[in-house]
Amino acid sequence: MRSDLSDIVMAVSGKIVRFVVYAALFAPVFIVIATSFTASATLRFPPEGFSLRWYEAALGSPQFMGALWVSVRLALAATVISLILGFAATFAADRFEFPGRAALRALLLSPLVVPMVVLGLGLLQFLAWVGLAQTFWGLLLGHILITLPYVARTLAAGTVLFDRRLEEAAMNLRAAPLTVLRRITLPLLAPSIVAAGVFAFVTSFGNITLSVFLSFGGEMTLPVQIYSYVESNYTPIIASVSTLVIVITVILLVSIEKLVGMERLR
Amino acid sequence: MASTTSRKTAESWAFRPNLAVLALVTPVVLFFVVALVFPLSGLFRASFFEGNRPYGGSGFTLDHYLRFLTDAYYGSVLLETVILAFASAVFSLLVGFPVAYSIARAEPRKRKLRMFLVVLPLTLSLVVVVFGWLVLLGGQGIVNTLLIRIGLIDEPLRFLFNQQVVVFVLVQQFLPFMILSIMSVISQIDPALEQAAANLRANRFTVFRRVIIPMAMPGILVGVTLVFILSMSAFIAPRLIGGSRVQMIGNLIFEQVIVILNWPFGAAMSFIVLTITMLLTLSINYFVAARFAKRSPGNAQ
Repeated sequence: MRSDLSDIVMAVSGKIVRFVVYAALFAPVFIVIATSFTASATLRFPPEGFSLRWYEAALGSPQFMGALWVSVRLALAATVISLILGFAATFAADRFEFPGRAALRALLLSPLVVPMVVLGLGLLQFLAWVGLAQTFWGLLLGHILITLPYVARTLAAGTVLFDRRLEEAAMNLRAAPLTVLRRITLPLLAPSIVAAGVFAFVTSFGNITLSVFLSFGGEMTLPVQIYSYVESNYTPIIASVSTLVIVITVILLVSIEKLVGMERLR
Repeated sequence: MASTTSRKTAESWAFRPNLAVLALVTPVVLFFVVALVFPLSGLFRASFFEGNRPYGGSGFTLDHYLRFLTDAYYGSVLLETVILAFASAVFSLLVGFPVAYSIARAEPRKRKLRMFLVVLPLTLSLVVVVFGWLVLLGGQGIVNTLLIRIGLIDEPLRFLFNQQVVVFVLVQQFLPFMILSIMSVISQIDPALEQAAANLRANRFTVFRRVIIPMAMPGILVGVTLVFILSMSAFIAPRLIGGSRVQMIGNLIFEQVIVILNWPFGAAMSFIVLTITMLLTLSINYFVAARFAKRSPGNAQ
């Protein structure tokens, strides 16, 4: 390949940009983890001394552990329902011709284009009207809504790569449609389903912009609890709780990587 | 043989296609009616309610819209929000594109690690990320401590509470969306095209300008749109990082809803934001698509 000055400029500036981007993406994570082991009572970086006292404090705090439990239950429920709804819809859009198929695909992605504050206030008002404001069910409704687009995108990418001749072979061997679905289609799509599920889980688990509207005063998710704590207090317990969140997220991401490969995320 | 097989399959899957589609699609459509259509239409109705109570409003008035449109303060916050969101989308594109390209073209092992670095912040709670920046950039944060220790400055600098740092944190926060959108498109572009262009004595810059960027345009548009919309409604980062100095429209809505409890006014503001966001998003997409269509015959020659 011919190379001239502009090539060298591009190569060097590309390297610099990439270094800065990776450093900036990773810096806050690193800082939070490092600060959580501080021995002092104030939040400072570099941390002073080493202790696990803020982990003891975090694990012993009913406030934070209660919120963590709410977040885990919420993310699990939202993931399962989102996967069922999303799988049914993408499967239908992939396999059948019907009027409104393009509209269905657009509908699945539509929560992405509505600003989160608008969704938040709309849902809050609707839930107040039906008497579900500040309940787990209200949060669940909102979280299914925001995880569905990611599930739909990841599953749609998976169904495109799917080799349909394998289903045809099974049918030629006189397998019933439901057997084919259970024995061929679902196992072959399993990697995409796992990836979509993990992505839905972490999206719900980390969300604050919507949760803060739906859970103020009622059931609080962990990010909302951290947010309301940060507004009035500034102790390293925030860092240790955040590190627990990071650890849970990393375990999930590493497990998708090991199970199915990260490229499936969309 | 092949045709018999596929016909048979079509028959067995489509033993009752209409019923199957109905069964598969109805739940999700019902869900969207309940979780998206009802709330948004209820919000639209509430934006015309008389008075300022959180719920149980009635009547019809344009007061809330007029209040927003006549008070210059709201207009200036909206303008500032649009500018900040636009800046955040442009900067995300500028720094996200090289990263997305390098990941798409990296060898599998490097690709995995880099993907991990990109996806991790996306999945972290925004609070955790913002909090990391507070520790880093605060008055007693590491940057100030370092600068004082080397003797470059005597007094801690104020990094926080200005527009630049808000844009910086928005970019950092939403960059993964940009990178993933562009990357998924670039990894589908055949590297042979780049080699062909290079064989025709195009340098890297020309290859990017004439081959890669035009072909990656769909991904670029998706990324820019996502980052713009996400930044338009950001309110946690501006509140914690920008303090009272940087007001974004999301903060004002959040305040009206949670603190002041004036829901009808909050609803009117939400609809103004929704309309502006949609109009700007559509016009960006339209503008780029139009330019793109005009230029592509030239590229083909």
